[in-house]
Amino acid sequence: MAAVAQETPTQTRTDDAVVRIQGLQAHYGARQVLHDIELTVAPGEIMVIMGGSGSGKSTLLRHLVGLMRPTAGSVELLGVDITRAPALEMQRLRRRIGVAFQGGALFSSMNVLDNIMLPLREHTQLDRQTMEIMARLKLEVVNLAGAEDLMPAELSGGMVKRAAVARAIVMDPALLFFDEPSAGLDPAVSSALDDLILKLREAMNMSIVVVTHELESAFKIADRITVLDQGRILTVDDVAGIRRSDNARIQNLLNRRAENAEVDAETYLRRLTGEAAPAGDPQAAGTKQDAGAV
Amino acid sequence: MSEAVREVNGNLVVSLTGEIDLDRAPEARRLLLDCVKRSKDVLVDLSAVTYIDSSGIASLVEALQWAKQRGTDLCLVAVSPQALRVFELARLDKVFAIHPDLDAALAGEN
Amino acid sequence: MQRVAEGIGKGVLRGAEEVGFAGALFLEAVLWAVLGPTRRQPVRLAAVVAQMMQIGVEALPIASVLAATIGMMLAIQSLYSLGLFGAESFATVGIALSVVREFAPLIVGILVAGRSGSALAARFSTMMINQEVDALRVIGISPVRFLIAPALFAMMIMVPCLTMWANIVALSAAGLFVTAQLDISLAAYFADVVAALSVNDLAHGLGKSVLFAALVALVSAVNGALADGGAEGVGRRTTRAVVQSIAAIIMVDMIFAFVVTAG
Repeated sequence: MAAVAQETPTQTRTDDAVVRIQGLQAHYGARQVLHDIELTVAPGEIMVIMGGSGSGKSTLLRHLVGLMRPTAGSVELLGVDITRAPALEMQRLRRRIGVAFQGGALFSSMNVLDNIMLPLREHTQLDRQTMEIMARLKLEVVNLAGAEDLMPAELSGGMVKRAAVARAIVMDPALLFFDEPSAGLDPAVSSALDDLILKLREAMNMSIVVVTHELESAFKIADRITVLDQGRILTVDDVAGIRRSDNARIQNLLNRRAENAEVDAETYLRRLTGEAAPAGDPQAAGTKQDAGAV
Repeated sequence: MSEAVREVNGNLVVSLTGEIDLDRAPEARRLLLDCVKRSKDVLVDLSAVTYIDSSGIASLVEALQWAKQRGTDLCLVAVSPQALRVFELARLDKVFAIHPDLDAALAGEN
Repeated sequence: MQRVAEGIGKGVLRGAEEVGFAGALFLEAVLWAVLGPTRRQPVRLAAVVAQMMQIGVEALPIASVLAATIGMMLAIQSLYSLGLFGAESFATVGIALSVVREFAPLIVGILVAGRSGSALAARFSTMMINQEVDALRVIGISPVRFLIAPALFAMMIMVPCLTMWANIVALSAAGLFVTAQLDISLAAYFADVVAALSVNDLAHGLGKSVLFAALVALVSAVNGALADGGAEGVGRRTTRAVVQSIAAIIMVDMIFAFVVTAG
């Protein structure tokens, strides 16, 4: 495994990186789920984090947006180390970051317009009319005009995701995080979301981090792709580099056989007989995480 | 910080400057609405604006709506390429009359 | 055997953890109410009022029915048991004290636990599972300030109000029965009630109800916050919240009565 990790190519180490993760380690209880994560995202870049289920990509995203604290290491967003920043500085930083969750996470008790306006109401002193126009503008951007008064329960899956994007970008964030944009959507709708992501970067020069397991979507939008496997970074490369990689695991990912490809006989037997794996066995940790993390 | 309002050929020319962001948008909004209330055509000169976010753009939209209700006009002058991309993203280039510079705008108005 | 001991040990630890969590939530909610406005992050009055409507006003009909039934039941039982000693004339004193010190707070507490505690636990756990709580946090909104504090304060305001209302309804219903049986006027009955009750009795009952309110809100919040496992998890958490709330109310009731009357 160490040999694989070393394959990580040179990373852009510019000083104005909008995301910089250094030496990140994360545990669930005693079990380590992320190992030695190093990652940078440049301004205006679309970085896709890929991996199968249980690869740790969702956990990594939770650390990136400050929903989990790492056991060790630092996570810098727009120059602020969110593992150490005081509450007030975090509050300021939150204005410049947007997060679109996998299931949309719209507040079910509010209509679409109020959902989108909530960050403005909580963070700014703007006039109500200004906030409303801003929210409606964002609805236009995500192609959801006319849905203002609908409740989240009345929206289709694709509409929920677009409303979630509208809420995430309502404050014109410099940095947007997007969790599984394609999950649960049919190909046409998910392709439209990919176009939206590209459009946002183009027009608003946002830096965007997308977590996905959809290869097609990743190849379409990514400037660079980070491949995670069992809590470690396998490689960071541009689309062309990923395509021609001869690493077996990446090839497995490309062929969508990631799920069952990696289990050795001993682990498999232990799993079938329900015998607990020895602590600190990364192989077992990686497979067991399926149940817990997703 | 010095948004100047002057009168040229019976039109009001408002010059916005610097960064129009969440903190400064309320100020810009007040200025724009005050101008519109004077019931003259308004030209908003954005040539000295270095950055405008959606709160600034929302203020422009609101001012345009007020102007239309009063039967006057509000158009934009010298929109930066950055801002223009945001306008196009929300299809606002179809709503506002946008002129490259002040002379063109004045010619268009009269 | 060792397994059992281990299980009990873990259960106690988890219980202590949850009690500690509830205490921390309470302190944080109070802190937001006091300091929030200075940081431009107030506990919104509109949210508290909305909760007050749901918890208090909408519960009035059912609270009235239950209080009237309890009052009537107390009157019947008191007249019967005191009648065995020929002491019916003391029934009013017994009814007044029982209602105000014990039955009104208890019945309102249990009603609110079943009605609003379950609703809160279901709402919090659904929001947890749908990542709405995560969404609040990444927007920079404290879930304690935005969700828990309004419910907690609304409870602590409305439950004593409901209890006061239940006092009046229960005593009136009891009065209907007592006056008919003893052939006295309603005015004379209420004069007896007022003479029997001290401010202390009223404070005892209402004070307890504030405590019950906080218990229900915090138990629901803790259960909501610990939710996992999809729709099934919501159901499990909701049931657990109601059972724990009612158990907590009854135990705290006993402890409260013991501590206060002993002193």
